[in-house]
Amino acid sequence: MPYLGSEDVVKELKRALCNPHIQADRLRYRNVIQRVIRHMTQGVDMSGVFMEMVKASATVDIVQKKLVYHYMCTYAPLKPDLALLAINTLCKDCSDPNPMVRGLALRSMCSLRMPGVQEYIQQPVLHGLRDKASYVRRVAVLGCAKMHNLHGDSEVDGALVNELYSLLRDQDPIVVVNCLRSLEEILKQEGGVVINKPIAHHLLNRMPKLDQWGQAEVLNFLLRYQPRSEEELFDILNLLDGFLKSSSPSVVMGATKLFLILAKQFPHVQTDVLVRVKGPLLAACSSESRELCFVALCHVRQILHSLPGHFSGHYKKFFCSYSEPHYIKLKKVEVLCELVNDENVQQVLEELRGYCTDVSADFAQAAISAIVVVQTFRDLVWLCPQCTDAVCQALPGCEDTIQDSEGKQALIWLLGVHGERIPNAPYVLEDFAENVKSETFPAVKMELLTALLRLFLSRPAECQDALGRLLCYCIEEEKDMAVRDRGLFYYRLLLAGVDEAKRVLCSPKSDPSLGLLEDQAERPVNSWASDFNTLVPVYGKARWATISKCQGTERRGPELPSTAAFAASGPLIPEENKEKVEELPDSGALVLVPNHHLAAETFEKAWLSLEVAHRQVLPWQGAVHPDTLQMALQVVNIQTIAVSRAGAQPWKAYLSAQDDTGCLFLTELLWEPETLAMQVSVKQSEARADTLGSFTSVLGTVLGTVGDIKS
Amino acid sequence: MIGGLFIYNHKGEVLISRVYRDDIGRNAVDAFRVNVIHARQQVRSPVTNIARTSFFHVKRSNIWLAAVTKQNVNAAMVFEFLYKMCDVMAAYFGKISEENIKNNFVLIYELLDEILDFGYPQNSETGALKTFITQQGIKSQHEDKRRAIPDHQPGDWANWLAAGGHQVSSERALPGCAGECEPPHVPTGGKQSIAIDDCTFHQCVRLSKFDSERSISFIPPDGEFELMRYRTTKDIILPFRVIPLVREVGRTKLEVKVVIKSNFKPSLLAQKIEVRIPTPLNTSGVQVICMKGKAKYKASENAIVWKIKRMAGMKESQISAEIELLPTNDKKKWARPPISMNFEVPFAPSGLKVRYLKVFEPKLNYSDHDVIKWVRYIGRSGIYETRC
Repeated sequence: MPYLGSEDVVKELKRALCNPHIQADRLRYRNVIQRVIRHMTQGVDMSGVFMEMVKASATVDIVQKKLVYHYMCTYAPLKPDLALLAINTLCKDCSDPNPMVRGLALRSMCSLRMPGVQEYIQQPVLHGLRDKASYVRRVAVLGCAKMHNLHGDSEVDGALVNELYSLLRDQDPIVVVNCLRSLEEILKQEGGVVINKPIAHHLLNRMPKLDQWGQAEVLNFLLRYQPRSEEELFDILNLLDGFLKSSSPSVVMGATKLFLILAKQFPHVQTDVLVRVKGPLLAACSSESRELCFVALCHVRQILHSLPGHFSGHYKKFFCSYSEPHYIKLKKVEVLCELVNDENVQQVLEELRGYCTDVSADFAQAAISAIVVVQTFRDLVWLCPQCTDAVCQALPGCEDTIQDSEGKQALIWLLGVHGERIPNAPYVLEDFAENVKSETFPAVKMELLTALLRLFLSRPAECQDALGRLLCYCIEEEKDMAVRDRGLFYYRLLLAGVDEAKRVLCSPKSDPSLGLLEDQAERPVNSWASDFNTLVPVYGKARWATISKCQGTERRGPELPSTAAFAASGPLIPEENKEKVEELPDSGALVLVPNHHLAAETFEKAWLSLEVAHRQVLPWQGAVHPDTLQMALQVVNIQTIAVSRAGAQPWKAYLSAQDDTGCLFLTELLWEPETLAMQVSVKQSEARADTLGSFTSVLGTVLGTVGDIKS
Repeated sequence: MIGGLFIYNHKGEVLISRVYRDDIGRNAVDAFRVNVIHARQQVRSPVTNIARTSFFHVKRSNIWLAAVTKQNVNAAMVFEFLYKMCDVMAAYFGKISEENIKNNFVLIYELLDEILDFGYPQNSETGALKTFITQQGIKSQHEDKRRAIPDHQPGDWANWLAAGGHQVSSERALPGCAGECEPPHVPTGGKQSIAIDDCTFHQCVRLSKFDSERSISFIPPDGEFELMRYRTTKDIILPFRVIPLVREVGRTKLEVKVVIKSNFKPSLLAQKIEVRIPTPLNTSGVQVICMKGKAKYKASENAIVWKIKRMAGMKESQISAEIELLPTNDKKKWARPPISMNFEVPFAPSGLKVRYLKVFEPKLNYSDHDVIKWVRYIGRSGIYETRC
């Protein structure tokens, strides 16, 4: 991060650190060190004073030690040779009589991420494992994992693993949990820590002694234990019963997941468990901690997929309160939409109607909530025809607040289908038709055509004029082929006669978007049990699939020197996603070189001399934020050479990247506001189809993600 | 596991940054700032995925705390951890504000060193942490010193009751047995006449005893803690009723009248009552008349804030206001946000009562009547809103 005058700051601090007067005064010395850390936090490169900081580590002042160690852990990878100088002090501290000092030194030493440090830390770690203070043992156990991470792909030390397994019987609960974590990381290649019967039972017995983090973690590890008999299974479930009512939501969710997975074969047990966690989940959903409430709502939605009626009696718990953040409101409306039944639909609708008029307060929020609300209305109408009246009453007045294409589509659809019962429907549609020229979304135009034609069939007198003009515009002036085709099709349909048009348009299932509710058949609990209590319900399955797919790609193009640190997804990734990760072709292994830098002139020369190897068009709505994009590209080691400023039309960017074989990838991004698409052209210095494919997929995901964030 | 923890001020400046795992690069700090703090639209989710990295954030006043990870973690756990961290920090230096965080910069780094190692939560109990933390928390000077009960986030009504309503503090009640001695056993009994939808207990409670005898028996940890959290939906006595009356007089004037009625025993006193009446954005002037307390129009908050220090039960009080509006050509109608209210009452509106409190202390031989003990009820409003 560029920082004005950072060099001067470093110089000044260096001088201060060397000043014997300051060194003599403990408080002043500590103050200077604090300033170094402060600048480091702000992103200033402070590696220049490494030498002086190493000197400062030799002190009896514990605070000073902590600060210096924190500093060293940050910059050791940049100055490995200088960091070695500190090892001596650290080693000495590892045998300090004070367990706190021992622990601190050991933890810091293991956190020095630099090559060559392993030989120095091995002995202290082994001693630490047998230390009489539990504090040191906790640190040492995790130190083993850190050490393994430093080694990267080195072999697993069998003796160490055995020692860790035996430490699972340690007195201290945190040592036990740390052992599991450490073993999990060390044995990742072999599928993680093995939970056999004695270990599982030992852990089960220790559960009450653990803190909430430990409990959540152990519940997760127990997932991989397979009870031998039905009897054992139910014994375990009985033992863990209390955790379904724990005061910590993460323990409750962890226990729920374990129950669901262990009782795979017993659907009635699963249902019973879901009934029993209803209370805790509802409590979390109305909790004052909003983020937790959000997570709980995501999981409630997940449960509703299998047990649609599960929360119907509690629908009032999902009514929004005015001051809630809108992500909670959105989730609540989603949940409400899923738990409506014949009995509560009236109340739910009343409530939703309230939100409809409520939204006009804040513009941005209005747009978003209105979409959801209107979409919900559409789904409800489909679900329960008897309540259309209530919806129709609520509709007038909505049109001003909706700005988004999906919301517009939903509203237009409603007006078309139920227009005969909404007095001003033709006029609202007419307004839309008047402004069709400035409408940016083709999908909205298509929906408008259909809706107006439909309404024309039921209220011809009021719509004829508008429909005529709309058709005329679509056929004569519209540039989008799909819209124009739709217009022509309707025109010809009308030529064939009104009855024919009615038969085609008003048949019961003419709108494909309504498939939505039909395929919401109950999904078995087992289909999502393994996703429960992970990020999958939070992000949504589809989104997670793309994220984890990217992680797969990234595995092949590590941005950091140590691949092993890349604990890509752990065992929590659901099975199907795992397959996806593996599906990716390995042949085109692409490793983009970090810190690749290409001068603009070189780029220009290369760009002009090469042919376009790949061209692609990605959907892209709205303006481009160059900063976001640049940042995201940097993460995957793609350098931005030049970029138009935000808001420029057309907007362009030139990117460059280099893989480990030296092959250059040059890319042009072109965005024109009319097309709603990003044109990507890639040129390659050596023609190799396999790496080109990988590169474009990496680029595609980055653009996709950035597009997602933005929209 | 958590790969890194960052704390930002409202401008997005990094106040604290601690990275625990290699897979979190320096650019993660900036990515969150650019994509979330500086984003033009409001926050869409407390979990944000930027370039395959998940950012979990919570906000305390105008401070952002973000935990970062690349793993498929348990989201509830990460948020619970962030809350815990806020609690621990609050226990050391009070309110989480930019000033306090800057002043306690070293302390926070010390804490972060202890409560997370390699991204795994370690010891997070304030009591146990004391041994390893060298710094004292520095509290800002204008901090409210009269904090009888810990600050809780405004929350849902029933939940709050559990959180702040009944505290049995072992430290205060038992001055003699701090530290070395075996902590005492404290059973309290609850009457079964109120319907609790569900409840959860602190880890120290012996659940078997609760199941068999319906009494809560526990060995308290050091310091203040939340013993029980429960949720009720039936038979709640709403301590206040709010009756709003809004009349639009032409296009440029609104008349608002709000009556609040207290609905509890006349001998009890509610405190710190605050009623917030939202006003339209195009308000140009407000005249307020109230019988009790003080009322003020706060233009920056678009609301009339009416404060009453104390109010006895079965009383009623009224405020009337005339709001002048600027004529606008904005077609949108005013959304009429709900009227919200805050208060404290000296009883539990759920009807929950502690029947008795007994203390056993075998080592030092305290008998039950040697100890001074008391139970105080406070019901504090969470979100208390009335639509108008």
